[in-house]
Amino acid sequence: MRLTALDEAAEALSLRKNMGVAEARAIYPKLDVIEDDPVANRRFLEAIADWCDRYTPLVALDGVDGLFLDITGCAHLFGGETALLKDILARLFQMGLDARGAVSSSPGLSWAVSRFGQGGIIEHGEAEQALVPLPVAALRLEDETIGALNKTGLKYVGDLLDAPRAPLARRFGGSVLLRLDQALGTDEEPVSPRLPVASLSVERRLIEPIGAEDDILALTNQIAVSLKPSLEARGIGGRIFELVLFRVDGKVFRLSAGTAQPLREPKRVAALFAERLQAIHDDFDAGYGFEILRLNVLLHEDFVTSQGDFEHRQQKDVSLAAFVDRVSARLGEDCLQTFQLRESHIPERAVITVPAIDHLSTQKTREGHPPPARNERPIRLLRKPEPMDAFAVEVPDGAPASFHWRRMQHRVRKSEGPERLAMEWWRDGSDAENRDYFRIEDDQGRRFWIYRHGHYERDTAQSWYMHGVIA
Amino acid sequence: MSIFFEIGAKTNFSFLEGASKPEEMIVQAAILKLGGLGIADRNSVAGVVRAHAQSKAIQKKFERMRAGLLEEHEKNDVILNPIHFQPGARLVFSDGTPDILAYPQDRKGWAHLCRLLSAGNLRAEKGKCILTEADLMEWGDDMMLALVPDPSIAGHGNHEAFEGCLERFRKRFRKNFHMALAPAYDGRDKRMFATISLLADRNRIPLIATNQPLYHDTTRRPLADIVTSIREHVPIPEAGFLLAPNAERFLKNDGEILRLFRDYPHAVTNTEKFFGSLSFSLDELEHNYPPENDEGETPYQTLERLTKAGAAKRFPGKIPEKVQRNIEYELSLVRQKQYEPYFLTVHRIIQYARHEKKILCQGRGSAANSVICYCLEITEVNPEKSTLLFDRFLSMDRDEPPDIDVDFEHERREEVIQHIYEKYGKEHAGLTAGVTTYRTRSAGREVSKAFGLSEDVQSAIGSLVWGWSEEKLSEREAKAAGLDIFDPMTKNVLKYASELLGFPRHLTQHVGGFVITRDRLDEVVPIMKTAMPGRYMVEWDKDDLDNLKILKVDILALGMLTALKRAFDLLLLHYDVKKTLADLGNDTHADEEPVYEMICRADTLGVFQIESRAQMSMLPRLKPKKFYDLVIEVAIVRPGPIQGDMVHPYLKRREDRDRGIPIEYPSKELESVLERTLGVPLFQEQAMQIAITAAGFKPAEADQLRRAMATFKRTGTIGNFEKRFIEGMVAKKYSRDFAQQCFNQIKGFGEYGFPESHAASFALLVYASSWVKAYYPDVFCAAMLNSQPMGFYAPAQLVRDAREHGVVIRPVDINESNWDCLLEEAEFNKRAVDFRHAVMREVIQTKRAVRLGFRQIKGLSEVSMQQLVANRGRGYSSIRDLWLRSGLQKADIERLADADAFGSIRLSRREALWAVRALDAKSAAEKLPLFDQVSHIDLQVEPETRLPEMLAGEQVVEDYRYLSLSLKGHPVSFLRDEFRKVGVVRNVDLLTIPNGRRVTIAGLVLVRQRPGSAKGVIFMTLEDETGVANAIVWKKVFEKYRPIVMGARLVKIYGKLQSQSGVIHTVVDHIEDMTPALGILQKEARRFGVSDRSDEALNPSMDPSQRKLANSLEKAVMEKRLISSGHVGVIETTQVMPKGRNFH
Repeated sequence: MRLTALDEAAEALSLRKNMGVAEARAIYPKLDVIEDDPVANRRFLEAIADWCDRYTPLVALDGVDGLFLDITGCAHLFGGETALLKDILARLFQMGLDARGAVSSSPGLSWAVSRFGQGGIIEHGEAEQALVPLPVAALRLEDETIGALNKTGLKYVGDLLDAPRAPLARRFGGSVLLRLDQALGTDEEPVSPRLPVASLSVERRLIEPIGAEDDILALTNQIAVSLKPSLEARGIGGRIFELVLFRVDGKVFRLSAGTAQPLREPKRVAALFAERLQAIHDDFDAGYGFEILRLNVLLHEDFVTSQGDFEHRQQKDVSLAAFVDRVSARLGEDCLQTFQLRESHIPERAVITVPAIDHLSTQKTREGHPPPARNERPIRLLRKPEPMDAFAVEVPDGAPASFHWRRMQHRVRKSEGPERLAMEWWRDGSDAENRDYFRIEDDQGRRFWIYRHGHYERDTAQSWYMHGVIA
Repeated sequence: MSIFFEIGAKTNFSFLEGASKPEEMIVQAAILKLGGLGIADRNSVAGVVRAHAQSKAIQKKFERMRAGLLEEHEKNDVILNPIHFQPGARLVFSDGTPDILAYPQDRKGWAHLCRLLSAGNLRAEKGKCILTEADLMEWGDDMMLALVPDPSIAGHGNHEAFEGCLERFRKRFRKNFHMALAPAYDGRDKRMFATISLLADRNRIPLIATNQPLYHDTTRRPLADIVTSIREHVPIPEAGFLLAPNAERFLKNDGEILRLFRDYPHAVTNTEKFFGSLSFSLDELEHNYPPENDEGETPYQTLERLTKAGAAKRFPGKIPEKVQRNIEYELSLVRQKQYEPYFLTVHRIIQYARHEKKILCQGRGSAANSVICYCLEITEVNPEKSTLLFDRFLSMDRDEPPDIDVDFEHERREEVIQHIYEKYGKEHAGLTAGVTTYRTRSAGREVSKAFGLSEDVQSAIGSLVWGWSEEKLSEREAKAAGLDIFDPMTKNVLKYASELLGFPRHLTQHVGGFVITRDRLDEVVPIMKTAMPGRYMVEWDKDDLDNLKILKVDILALGMLTALKRAFDLLLLHYDVKKTLADLGNDTHADEEPVYEMICRADTLGVFQIESRAQMSMLPRLKPKKFYDLVIEVAIVRPGPIQGDMVHPYLKRREDRDRGIPIEYPSKELESVLERTLGVPLFQEQAMQIAITAAGFKPAEADQLRRAMATFKRTGTIGNFEKRFIEGMVAKKYSRDFAQQCFNQIKGFGEYGFPESHAASFALLVYASSWVKAYYPDVFCAAMLNSQPMGFYAPAQLVRDAREHGVVIRPVDINESNWDCLLEEAEFNKRAVDFRHAVMREVIQTKRAVRLGFRQIKGLSEVSMQQLVANRGRGYSSIRDLWLRSGLQKADIERLADADAFGSIRLSRREALWAVRALDAKSAAEKLPLFDQVSHIDLQVEPETRLPEMLAGEQVVEDYRYLSLSLKGHPVSFLRDEFRKVGVVRNVDLLTIPNGRRVTIAGLVLVRQRPGSAKGVIFMTLEDETGVANAIVWKKVFEKYRPIVMGARLVKIYGKLQSQSGVIHTVVDHIEDMTPALGILQKEARRFGVSDRSDEALNPSMDPSQRKLANSLEKAVMEKRLISSGHVGVIETTQVMPKGRNFH
């Protein structure tokens, strides 16, 4: 195990990335190590990217810890590049993130300056000047290439700018020059946004954040109203709508809703989200409220006036899964439960109830071990084993000749057993007593599953329990 | 006597299945008074010897009780009835055949079983065994067999295939074939028994009862579940049906078995018949020695003849009376014990290695330093000079073979191994197994994993102890790791981890133990694959082989022998000096004085054994003057004697003796035992002799004591001897205190105590390596570098030490170097010898310089460098030339450039790199034939690129990066200016600073050492450009500065100087991490070797107070500069510097 990231306190110590955890612990035995979770890191970066949507729809992920924002044509909305950068960094700082950024005319240059320089705004024509003092690593090169350049003494971008190009390419490959040109802006480099850019989009920025569902829906309705003319103008209707809610603290909710037919009617658009909002009720936390609401049309179609029989279609194809989905979505996952087998030798622990929705989705992937060879289990298991009077003639492990259970006397005609089960020592302690189970048939032909509790060598008194009914 | 004989027991040698040790099974069977116990592990017989030994021990004790021969202290023991034991195996097939319990009836049957298992082992990857029905058909004769049907057989009606199988086996094995009846307690036993009984009757196969125990007692069920969980990699709470539903598979007694099988009593009586037809005993395998006698002689005659001839050679003229007597005595003992072939085998292996292969080798071990071994040239240590206890190795009571380890040059051991295979054949020679067992760390980790604890907790529990140990996990340690000991889970983890301790995990190959047998090896013991192709090992470890008296020779590798061999070769080649180990043996030599003188000064960097910090600080006090002093030195600086508190008494008595004060011995009889070590017991032999002469032990008991000492941590049996030992001594009128003290010392030996014979063999290598270092430091340096990795010091220190002794070291070069370091013509300049070694100026005979070899460069292969050398011709003229002619890969050439190996063609590191990067693989392939004639000139013209010049500091960093050392300068020398101004003294200056003064020192951290014997004290070794300095960090200080001590690569230390008879330590008060200062090397242009003290002289006019002020200001500036020397390059530079090696 190696260290992949350090917090500020750790950085101040002699720890560094890539150090073995064992080595780090030898130095700081009390070091707190949290396992790296690349998926969570990615989710987090994506959440920040989502948030950056407020500045421009063109946001791209850069590696595991960076974002590219294409702010062409957006900067003026925020009072210019300087103000925009300041705004982003200030807000991220308030969220507790240590972020750095740069604005320039090429992604490569911004990358270099924000990671290896001071960040800030690089004006046109200042590219070379900004790059000269940076180490060659600022050019997004392979580690091997960086190492080779360093060894020959070409440690700074300035060294490369001075050197003739052909010998460089010959020794370090074309990528060095490509990256250099990209940083200088002489070679175009497109930024590919991570989300599809909506074909139509309308938003509201609020001075006073809102939180109540009703307010959100009312506002959605208003936005949809202002969207309608644009849809009409193009002769289209939306098939997939997306409502983007920017929470004050940076969290971004995206709700999307599809329709069976193209749609423009503001009320119905808003209604789509009423259902969605209800469905995610538990996860939906307005916190201090939302400051931006945006309605995107992600997919649109030509608007056709004739509609099919909506009601009728819905009646068909209601499968169990769909039913479970819908009911669970409405009433909460816990309301529908189903049985699931669990691997345990102890009968009452061999079955648990789980939310049906989980069971259906995990059923196929779970692969258990087959139960060991053993006697059949009863069809009905009593919720709790019931004590009963019984007496076995044959010691130590014979079945009883008769027993008294629920005010009835039963005479045992046939029996099979014992099936000896030891309790789960790690739960019940290592002195928990065994159970000897018997399948019993009484003289009326009724069948039962009973057990004797206790250790046959230690206990002379017999304690018997009824645990199941076979037929 | 019981009529039930259990034949289905597994032990923990059915790895991660059985949950009791073989010994526990046997003892429990004896307690239950079973008729007999057979052990049948899964496709293995790895555990049967232990069971066999246990049953024999019970038998012996029982017989002694019968004969009224019990010792006083055994009278209260519970004496168990003997238990009949039979070895077998449970054959588990890969082709669907049901499991079969197989027990050999006689020696032949055993051979068959071994062949059968070997066949299965060799077919599978290591640790697995693939068997099919055909194997059993081939090898199943002379065995009793019992098929174990799967309990599910009762569940289905179609038994056709099963019966077909029964039919085949019955036809083939007839009355030897049985069917096992085993209860499952699953509620259907009656049905299952009935079905199996029906099938058995129908096929005329006798039934046989077994409970198939997995553990000796029900209390082991949790452990059985834990090993299952470890095996299946599932935490217990999730293991579900993988775990057994009940705890019934323990060893059951007669009554219970009869009750379970009440409807099938013949199944129980059949166990007796089954056992009755087994007459094989593992004892039949003993003394399975290969014939080593010469034609027309008995082995004894051969041994006697060779010994006598050897004696005549060893003692030219007349053989001393004492030696003669010893030879006869030893020979008669050997003859009685029939160990002649063993000595002959070792003798022949050594003869072959030494004379035919010219490999340096030396024997040691319990029997090695006998007179016979000296005469047979097994060792070079003349036993005339020590009073060894030969009986110890061949005591009459102890019937196990003597043990001789032979060390060979580590790089050539393989040849000896191949020779053994060739001479004896793969059918007769194989490697011993080593049983890897659960230690505290692994047991803690695995058990916490089984309980589903998080990885964090696992590693916390796993790291409760520093290093390996078999001590139980204590609650105190658990607390230290932040675990709640009242939590039932933690309690369980600790409890079961302790239970799991000592359980075998798997078999590995022993480092060098060879089993050589007369019979086919795979008919003595099953053989299996090892991790190395073409190499096989047996299923038994050395204790098992000892127990069965099967010959084993340890063929070990020793780096120092390689180094000495190389040194002897270089001496002959360059100085025409012919030396052998025997020449440098334990005698007095005319030229020994300077050698001992050097040792006394602790000028022993790189010398065998006495190079560690602890050894070096002992030397000036011990002042060895003769060979036996070295023997003591080797033995005394070990954890055993240190913990037993023997070092100081010994030193004191030595000083007394030198002052003429007579040494008092507790008694006359002990004087003869302890005389040679001045009354302090240092060797295992002495401990035994004390037990015999002073405490009245019988020799055999003393031997048991020795074994208890060796394994005392593991088995804890030494306590049994304590009372007896002390009472024995008190009875002989020794004071109780003295007796207790003696015993404590013996206990202190623990696992670390040295037998005298080992110490003597090692001392010989100490003297030999010291001799080379004293007279030919160039030879020593080259030989040591060519034998790396070995020892305490890295090449950088060996090189520096050689330079301090006036040896010129030359850099690696494409036109001068070979793979190994070479010696080249050079003048020896006496003045180049450092003043610290001034006395050596007249001693050193060096006339050569050392040329570093390509082996010093990291990441180059020997094969490609041999290619470079082979194609070198009259030398390479350019990089392009090198590339075209040598056939090296571009990456290799780049690495040569990295290492600055182009000095002879006047290319700097950067220039060379620049040129290498320009090489184009494609164009070269095309142009090679064309340009073959034109002498490989680079015809491509390209614009010139001006590369920045490399700073001196950068050069050093790069040297360290690719060579781990630099001939150009020491990293610390670049910081010297700053260091001097902040008051850091050079390490060399410590020599002149009086004891007790506070000093500030600084240097790269080479070594951190935390000896187990030093109660948490850490010893640090620092290095600057002038030498090394040792620092002591007390536990308290360590706790305060732990991150720096453990993590820093460059430190500054403030503390009190301790300087006593040439041993200098700084006791750390304050320690500071100076690692960031190394960034200066990459940043500032400094010259090599800055060290002028001119700054003060520049300002003579300044008045003192002003100067003081200026100095303190400057000091502050310097401090700041050192610490904050920027971030870029620092991390990179520090990574290159040695990390500091940690020793425990």
